[in-house]
Amino acid sequence: MDQLVLFVTLGFGVGSVYAVIASSLVAVHAATGVLNFAQGSIALWGVWVAAELGTTGTLVLPLGSVALVDGPAPALLAVVVGVLSSAVVALLTHLLVMRPLRSAPVLSQVVASVGVMLLVVSLVPLRFDTTGAVASPILPSGTVELLGAQVAVADLIVLALALVMAAVLAAYFRFTRWGTATRASAEDETALRLTGWSPDRLAALVWFATGALTGLVAIVASPSIGLDPISYTFYVLPGLAAALVARLRSILLAAAAGLAIGVFQSLLLMMSTYDFWPIWAQAGFGDTLPFLLVMVALFVFGKAIPERGGVQSARMPPVRPPRTRPVLALVVVASTFAAVLLTEGGWRFGVVTSVIMMLIALSLVLLTGYLGQISLAAMAFAGTGGFLLSRVTTEWGVPFPLSLVIPALAATVLGVVVGIPALRIRGAHLAVVTLAGALAIQTFVFGNPAFTPFEGNQIQDPSLFGMSLAVRNGTVLTTTSFAVMVLVVVGLLTWATARLMRGRTGRAFLAIRSNERAAASVGIDVAGTKLLGFAFSAFLAGVGGCLIGYSRSQLSVESFTVFVGLTLLCTVYVAGITSLAGAVVAGLLAPLGVLATFLEGTLGVGHLYSLIAALALVITAVLNPVGITGSVRHASEHLIDRRNARATS
Amino acid sequence: MPPRDDTPPAPDPLLEIRGLTVRYGGVVANDDVDLTVGRGEVVGLIGPNGAGKTSLVDAVTGFTPSDGEVRLDGRRLDRLPPHRRRRAGLARTWQAGELFADLTVADNVAVATQRRGWRGFVADILGRSARTGPDASLEMLGLGDDVGRLPDQLSLGRQRLVGVARALAGDSRVVLLDEPAAGLDTDESEAFGQIVRVMATHGHGVLLIDHDMNLVLSVCDRVYVLDFGRVIACGTPDEIRSDAAVVAAYLGEEPVS
Repeated sequence: MDQLVLFVTLGFGVGSVYAVIASSLVAVHAATGVLNFAQGSIALWGVWVAAELGTTGTLVLPLGSVALVDGPAPALLAVVVGVLSSAVVALLTHLLVMRPLRSAPVLSQVVASVGVMLLVVSLVPLRFDTTGAVASPILPSGTVELLGAQVAVADLIVLALALVMAAVLAAYFRFTRWGTATRASAEDETALRLTGWSPDRLAALVWFATGALTGLVAIVASPSIGLDPISYTFYVLPGLAAALVARLRSILLAAAAGLAIGVFQSLLLMMSTYDFWPIWAQAGFGDTLPFLLVMVALFVFGKAIPERGGVQSARMPPVRPPRTRPVLALVVVASTFAAVLLTEGGWRFGVVTSVIMMLIALSLVLLTGYLGQISLAAMAFAGTGGFLLSRVTTEWGVPFPLSLVIPALAATVLGVVVGIPALRIRGAHLAVVTLAGALAIQTFVFGNPAFTPFEGNQIQDPSLFGMSLAVRNGTVLTTTSFAVMVLVVVGLLTWATARLMRGRTGRAFLAIRSNERAAASVGIDVAGTKLLGFAFSAFLAGVGGCLIGYSRSQLSVESFTVFVGLTLLCTVYVAGITSLAGAVVAGLLAPLGVLATFLEGTLGVGHLYSLIAALALVITAVLNPVGITGSVRHASEHLIDRRNARATS
Repeated sequence: MPPRDDTPPAPDPLLEIRGLTVRYGGVVANDDVDLTVGRGEVVGLIGPNGAGKTSLVDAVTGFTPSDGEVRLDGRRLDRLPPHRRRRAGLARTWQAGELFADLTVADNVAVATQRRGWRGFVADILGRSARTGPDASLEMLGLGDDVGRLPDQLSLGRQRLVGVARALAGDSRVVLLDEPAAGLDTDESEAFGQIVRVMATHGHGVLLIDHDMNLVLSVCDRVYVLDFGRVIACGTPDEIRSDAAVVAAYLGEEPVS
């Protein structure tokens, strides 16, 4: 009993942060219709600002820093400045990013908030000394006896704080005129404008306030949770799960659900210490909880979760199906081959990685650009492929071409499972499911000692008809034969995908993307076609993951983290998510690809890569939703138009 | 006006609707509606705003849950999802057009006739190109010059015609046209009436919903009148023009001459 009480109260710390994030998400959604994936990052920034102040007395800004006091700042000052930093980050996110996108397609809003999330995460290690930093205690450190257990006072205070915050937020929306007006703006923004309110100002207020609240609870809880350069960012997932359980309507319910998740995770931790608990469930099981919860919530409530009325949301960026251009295709393949032959060492490795990443990027273009289903899980499917590649080559001895197919088919199955929620939900909610699924796969499968051998995931080098296709040969870092193998595999799959995009499947995808019920009314099986899209997309990503595995000879989980997946989404979106050319450009820009090699090897600023990617994503999402390839096409069409106009006049 | 139970059935019934009832919460949008459309027959459906015309089309095509029977050429369709009903030959248009904004006019129609799902997938990778000439229905509706355009480059009236072509294409046997002539001018509307007659001579059954009374009464073989979700009258256009209940419910004081 006392142990139970102890673990329940241990869950209060994290649970309170989840609860406030969940309430904030519901509030921000009510005010602006946006699901803010960056809410956790907002807390992360405040936590680090407060911690740095508490240790050195220096206020760190994104650029530059100010010494506020000599030596460690008093706790109160650190907390206040930390909370303000969180609030300012939230307000800037609203003013600079989300407000300009208020009538943009959901995809732009999702990628933009993912961009902000990544921006903060990449900025933190650059701006703060993240090794060995500790958050100095803010709350009293004593314990009280509660139902026979010694319970930390701090945990109880944090709990009380979170409950008060949720109650205040809920009261604001229910009892104040401003809050009522904000709720009205969720129903109909135009009507609210006509009654003389400014939805933008009301929204700014909500962003600022929720940023401050999220920052406050995270800062106060941070001494017991611990400092970490990433984890707070992903607290947004349990928060999103809780917000969806509350159907994005009830702030109090969201807070309760968030708290429950925190407590339940803590109880899972307790169970995992017992003998009867299976070994495979010891690690990462708590992280799969939000995913399972979201799935259940979405299936139970389904369409009851409101999508926002009001300003008609714009269309996705337009799509031009690829034309048959054998000459261009040959030129691309030939120049890639030339690039392989002309480079060596790290550069050749970058070229080959770019080719592989192009395949994974293509899976996103197909699923998100063509079918309109926002998936943040592409890298998890790739990881599944690579993970199984290690198994089938080392344990079962499956030979080369088959060793790509089997893991890719397993990824396909997983893709269908993650795609099933897409039959009930769409847009940002689907993005939440896929992100939660990706994190579940990452921690529960890749990071699970029960599934991952202690010595790492070794991979047998491929060979075909007795000819070695191994990536390394003596001192050669990337062999030509391996590069050719990658080119052939990726080339064939790209060719097949291009045919799909140009053909009946592509047409059906675009029909579903633009209007699901009209698609059903012309005889398209919307559910089946969506699953087909998820399946093929996961297959492409799975093959890509296998190729990454082969290129490393040993699989490291670091290649497939959710973080890499989100960064890849950035690059695909920046390059242009609606075209084949976008996938090619995305391959060049992708993590560990040619651009990354250039930044690392030539400029020596490889550590800035993810920061640059995140910045480019935010800017692209706000200013240029068609991406690089889209704007190149616009420019060339404009030139052709002008030339034609001159010719006819 | 004959009482409802004696409404003359279609000569050669293709679409048969029996006891169709639609409820939205406590509101009954359609109450025990019987309706038939015969092979080669043009049937009109009229009624004041809110009478339940569109809700009937939604229910028959599977977009709204309903009670009652829907048969096409004797085959029960009422438990099938919308896309299966379309594949069985029951097609519809939408009031708001609902074209696929990213597809050209030709592709908007082609997507309704192509091989589907897995077979389309395999054919895409291994088979011949999916690029075929524009569907004959486009030519029939006078959209031959627009096949390469995107929907938003057309006027609203012409967008609706593309929707009609999309419903006609392929193996559809009965088409439900939900206000297809809205946004057409008088001449275009008259021409559209001709086209509807041509559809019927090709063997299609047509259910035409429109506010343009001249159009409905001039091209339909029979007309049903809905009010408050019920069928209040059914008969030839001449019978409908002179029916007292219809006049009271819909046409106003003066019968349309």
